[in-house]
Amino acid sequence: MTTPTNAAVRTDTVWKIFEHDGITVEAVRGVTVRIEPGEFVVLAGPSGSGKTTLLNLFGGLTRPSRGRVWIDEQDITDMSERQLARLRLERLGFVFQAYNLLPVLTALENAEFSLLLQGVDEEERQRRVSALFEKIGIAGLEDRRPGKLSGGQQQRVAVARAVVSEPALVLADEPTANLDSASSDALLDVMVRLNADLGTTFVFATHDTRLMERAKRLIRLVDGAIASDHRR
Amino acid sequence: MQRLRLIVRLALRNVRRQARRSALTAAAMVVGLALLVMSRSLADGAHDEWIEAGVRLGSGHLAFQAPEFRARHAIEEHLSAADRAAVEAALADTVIAPHLKAVAPRLEITALASAAAAAVPVTVVGVDPAREPAFSEMDQRIVEGRYLEPHDHLQGFVGVELAQRLRLRLGDRLVLTAAGPDGAITDQLVRVVGTFRTAIPEVDQSLIHIPLATAQAWLGVDSGVTTIAVLLDASWNADRFTRRLQEALAPHADRIAVLSWRAASPELDAAVRMDDYGDYVFHGILFIIIALAIVNTVLMSVLYRTREFGVVRALGLRKRDTALLVLTEGLILTGISGLVGVLLGLAVTWGFFHDGFDLTAFMGDQMTAAGAVIDPVFIPQFRVVQLIQSAVSVAIVGLVASLYPAWRATRIDMAEAMKFEA
Repeated sequence: MTTPTNAAVRTDTVWKIFEHDGITVEAVRGVTVRIEPGEFVVLAGPSGSGKTTLLNLFGGLTRPSRGRVWIDEQDITDMSERQLARLRLERLGFVFQAYNLLPVLTALENAEFSLLLQGVDEEERQRRVSALFEKIGIAGLEDRRPGKLSGGQQQRVAVARAVVSEPALVLADEPTANLDSASSDALLDVMVRLNADLGTTFVFATHDTRLMERAKRLIRLVDGAIASDHRR
Repeated sequence: MQRLRLIVRLALRNVRRQARRSALTAAAMVVGLALLVMSRSLADGAHDEWIEAGVRLGSGHLAFQAPEFRARHAIEEHLSAADRAAVEAALADTVIAPHLKAVAPRLEITALASAAAAAVPVTVVGVDPAREPAFSEMDQRIVEGRYLEPHDHLQGFVGVELAQRLRLRLGDRLVLTAAGPDGAITDQLVRVVGTFRTAIPEVDQSLIHIPLATAQAWLGVDSGVTTIAVLLDASWNADRFTRRLQEALAPHADRIAVLSWRAASPELDAAVRMDDYGDYVFHGILFIIIALAIVNTVLMSVLYRTREFGVVRALGLRKRDTALLVLTEGLILTGISGLVGVLLGLAVTWGFFHDGFDLTAFMGDQMTAAGAVIDPVFIPQFRVVQLIQSAVSVAIVGLVASLYPAWRATRIDMAEAMKFEA
């Protein structure tokens, strides 16, 4: 029996069922999982195994068909859109496969996006972003637009955007999928360091074996259900 | 506030980012608005000229009459000397006085005009020869002879077709017969001092101007008049001045009625309104074109950026902020295009038509409509109110046209948006 205190995220028999043109797909099937604060977790599995859907359920980007989801012990299952937006802003960070930086903003403006929405003053924003850029090796690129950055640099900016407001949980969907091995390793170094230094909880959905090797916990999904769950 | 600044910054950059698409849409809106400004300034100019031409031959932009005069058209329904003094005092209002172009007292009556050849019903108007030319410009419509002068007493200025019908020539005499306030029939002899042509047959066939003093003595009304007609500097001032004067003359309401040209010349008002409705249809079509251009651009922009909207929502932007972002983009596009469109419209209208928009080729030297002779050269009129109305209308169109794309942006599924490839 799990204890519902202090989990970064947990689910109870959560299902996600998609229906399209009369075809029903059970993307996530009755998953019950608990991820503790400070964990560095990888959700692994073949394409269609439900990794991204489970990650989206963790982040409140999609709602479960059945079951419940808690973030930091707040039940988000029935939260309003407004409450979810606030929760994502204050408690969660996202890193996406395709970087998904806003092309009209500079690297600095992208990174400080969450802080702006939180109403953090300009001086504090600049201080935090500069420190983070220094830490993850992209100092000096603050004024560049995403189009003028390499894939690795863009993904680092995306990581900076995800962690700059010091969220309790960062959810990353295939963050290394579009990167070469050197950029991928460098990015993983950054995230491992942030996990260690800031205690930020990271949950990844990935096929990347290098990322799996560095995970402290590896959850394998098959056909929408947990096939194995190992801590290292 | 910071959130709002971020939204405005994003909106501005997004409009700039799709520069070609934004420019094409803006061009459509600029041309639409320029056409709107041009058509409205020309229409306003044409209407004002039309109205002025009509009211010069009628009873002015504003008319003071006894309350029953319009219905009964009887000489006993006249304004006394005391009433005239009250009207003069009301017109001295500091708000109204600077807008007065002419004030003409008139004594108007239906009479029988008899000459050797025939006798016909006519409209006799006693006018002040010193003040009347500035009002009706009859001195500019002379066919033969001259207009009335202040020293005239038994002179008559006669419509050219009436003169022909009665076979009158300059210097010939005719007898005017009418009933006075007491109902007694009374005659007045006058000599033709001049003839005129207005191009309006019903006027040229039946109107005679005689000196006001002669008419008053003939009909026995002392210094009474049936109408005090007022010409303003612009027709659009008529309604508000009518209300102001009605308030000022409220204590005399049982003896003095204040009418705007709309009430005094309902057929002219109806014709102008009809023309206005035609303009509204044209403006409506322009607004629809502008709205479609905005919907197309903003909606395309939203669909193209589905993934981005998913990302900003995932990062914590609320639905209403997402809608606000799209609306702001629409408003920026509308605002910039609106400003350029108004300036372009002003420049083009002034550049091409500051000497007037000449329709002589289509209308001839002059045309008549609703009892008015219209000069076929229209001088455009630029009014701040009109420009503000155009700009506000376009802003509203921009806002309304952006509502659907904004709503679409709020309906984007975040999880699905991440899979979206532009």
